[in-house]
Amino acid sequence: MLETYRGKYFHPRTQFITIDNLGKVLESDDVLFSLKKGDEIASVSPFFEGLAAYFDIQEDNDIKFTCVHLENTDAQEYTCDIEFKTFANGQPTLIIIHDFSDHYTYYQEVAQSRNESVINSQVLELKNKYLKEKEDFKNTFIANFSHELRNPLTGVTSFCSVLQKTDMTTEQQDYVEVIKSSADHLKNMIGDILEMSKIEVGKLSIEEELFNFHELIEMLNFTYSVKARQKNIEFDVDLDPKIPKYIESDKTRIKQVLENLIENALKFTSKGKVTLNIKENQRRARKVNLNIRISDTGIGIPADKIDTIFNSFTQLNNPQKYSGTGLGLSIVKGLVELMEGKIYVESKEKEGTTFKLNVSFKYPINQESISLEDKSDIEHKNFLSKEKYNILLAEDSELAQMAVLKILAQEGHFFLDIISNGEDVIESVIHNEYDLILMDIRMPGTHGDELTKMIRSLPVQNCKTIPILAITANLYDDDKKRYKKMGMNDIIEKPFDEKTLLKKIYKHLK
Amino acid sequence: MKASKKIILLGHFGVGKSSLIRQFVENTFTSDYKVTIGVHILKKEIKIAADETISLIIWDLEGYDDIRKTRASYLLGTHGFIYVFDVTRPATFENLKDDITYLTDQYPNTPLKVVGNKADLVTKSYLKENKDIFSVSPNFFTSAKTGDKVDDMFIALAKELVK
Repeated sequence: MLETYRGKYFHPRTQFITIDNLGKVLESDDVLFSLKKGDEIASVSPFFEGLAAYFDIQEDNDIKFTCVHLENTDAQEYTCDIEFKTFANGQPTLIIIHDFSDHYTYYQEVAQSRNESVINSQVLELKNKYLKEKEDFKNTFIANFSHELRNPLTGVTSFCSVLQKTDMTTEQQDYVEVIKSSADHLKNMIGDILEMSKIEVGKLSIEEELFNFHELIEMLNFTYSVKARQKNIEFDVDLDPKIPKYIESDKTRIKQVLENLIENALKFTSKGKVTLNIKENQRRARKVNLNIRISDTGIGIPADKIDTIFNSFTQLNNPQKYSGTGLGLSIVKGLVELMEGKIYVESKEKEGTTFKLNVSFKYPINQESISLEDKSDIEHKNFLSKEKYNILLAEDSELAQMAVLKILAQEGHFFLDIISNGEDVIESVIHNEYDLILMDIRMPGTHGDELTKMIRSLPVQNCKTIPILAITANLYDDDKKRYKKMGMNDIIEKPFDEKTLLKKIYKHLK
Repeated sequence: MKASKKIILLGHFGVGKSSLIRQFVENTFTSDYKVTIGVHILKKEIKIAADETISLIIWDLEGYDDIRKTRASYLLGTHGFIYVFDVTRPATFENLKDDITYLTDQYPNTPLKVVGNKADLVTKSYLKENKDIFSVSPNFFTSAKTGDKVDDMFIALAKELVK
């Protein structure tokens, strides 16, 4: 019985062929390939031509080849294992061909799937790497470019302030106002671009401070009610009185998010109203969760564009009509996510848009005992103890030197020394008694932060305590931490205006 | 007399070995990837001089990520090697130096050509500027898709085989 099965199922898949020492067929059972006596074995496949060197070997050999693809004269394909046997006793060479096509077809499918998966993952990895390199390049480029723009902008904004205090005709004053407002607009746009690049490279962090949340909302209410009236639309604020008055979070960033969304709503609304609605959702473990909605009755967002509005540099509407970098909403989203909150948008074209935020803030349980000292920095001016103060400005940009000189000269409280090269700063600090140092960071010679560290270690009286303020456009969190670590007391951001510069100087003078 | 020479194409899977052979033998190309398992053998006669023709028996081997895994029987009686990698996939050339050293140690007298395939996917300046990433300087940058340098590569090896 078994022999019958063997004959029926095994033999039809295995062919035996003998050949002579020239590779000509002596015998064949023709199970797979039809061969006549005297045919070249190479006519079955060029595979055998590659073995010609072994046809006339007179020794015992058993060479096995697995998974060889062969084709018969009817173009039928077989995937076979082949045994090539030579004998030392003069017997003719024996070739045994086993047809394992079914088995190898399955194996091919498995290998296909495995290899495709490996290749796809390698290609994906490469694409990600390429995208990351591209993104890093973009962010570094943006950061450097923004920095380079800030220096000349400092000149424009600060000299506008100086110019405004000179004798000018009303027409000239109007022109200066236009220059100032354009420079401010440019400054905001550069700020947006830099901020977005910081968010994207993860170099922006949320700081926590205790502040009066209700007061912030009241201030927004006041500011935007005026702006809305100028556009003949309404601005309503609905603040849930249950919300704690004092919360702990990043006041600047919360203000930035709300301002951005309200400005956006006002920009795209020409009639009707804009509403800021803030409701307490729940309190848990010293955290209050708020639902914030900013709704407008403006032009709305087309349904097919709604998914793209948080993307960088996306402006859905005519950029000539609605100015901006197209970064506002992507910054908002980035900041909300940094605060571990969520932001959604709902909109109907020609009916209006609602942005919904859900964020949690820490709050002190005992709200009654809190009193925040809220003395504005400029008020420090009234507590000055000396007639004149010696200030050192270490700055290589002539434009910035002139700006600081003009601003301080108008105040009448200061003697100003200016040094353009980092290497001369130490010498000057040793021989003069300064009340405050304004220190540029990127200076020829030694950088400002390094100089600060050196000054702090000088064995000269007051070098440990003299206020040193950085004047810089390098404002990544890492930079700020480094300035502090090196011993700097504060930072004046470039481009600065008169008010900012004086506020910081008066704050640190005693 | 017409010489018959066995050559083998080696390299990682998916680098385009079968496509190079198909382009050389049949002048065709398909971007559909079909994994080779085991070995396919094709033959092409080429004229390498006015009165000299050579019959190339081309063994298209299944790709491996480790050349040492190649079945020893396949390599018997080989006259020449073509080692193929994909210029766009670092995984296919990160062991290039080791693999070439292995082949030249094991088969010191067997001619070998190192080929960077899929060159149509990158610019010529990229290949020039990044040649150091390949650790071994390739003899040819080919494109099985456009046919660029494919015939040149096989013919160069064939000429070496009959020297």
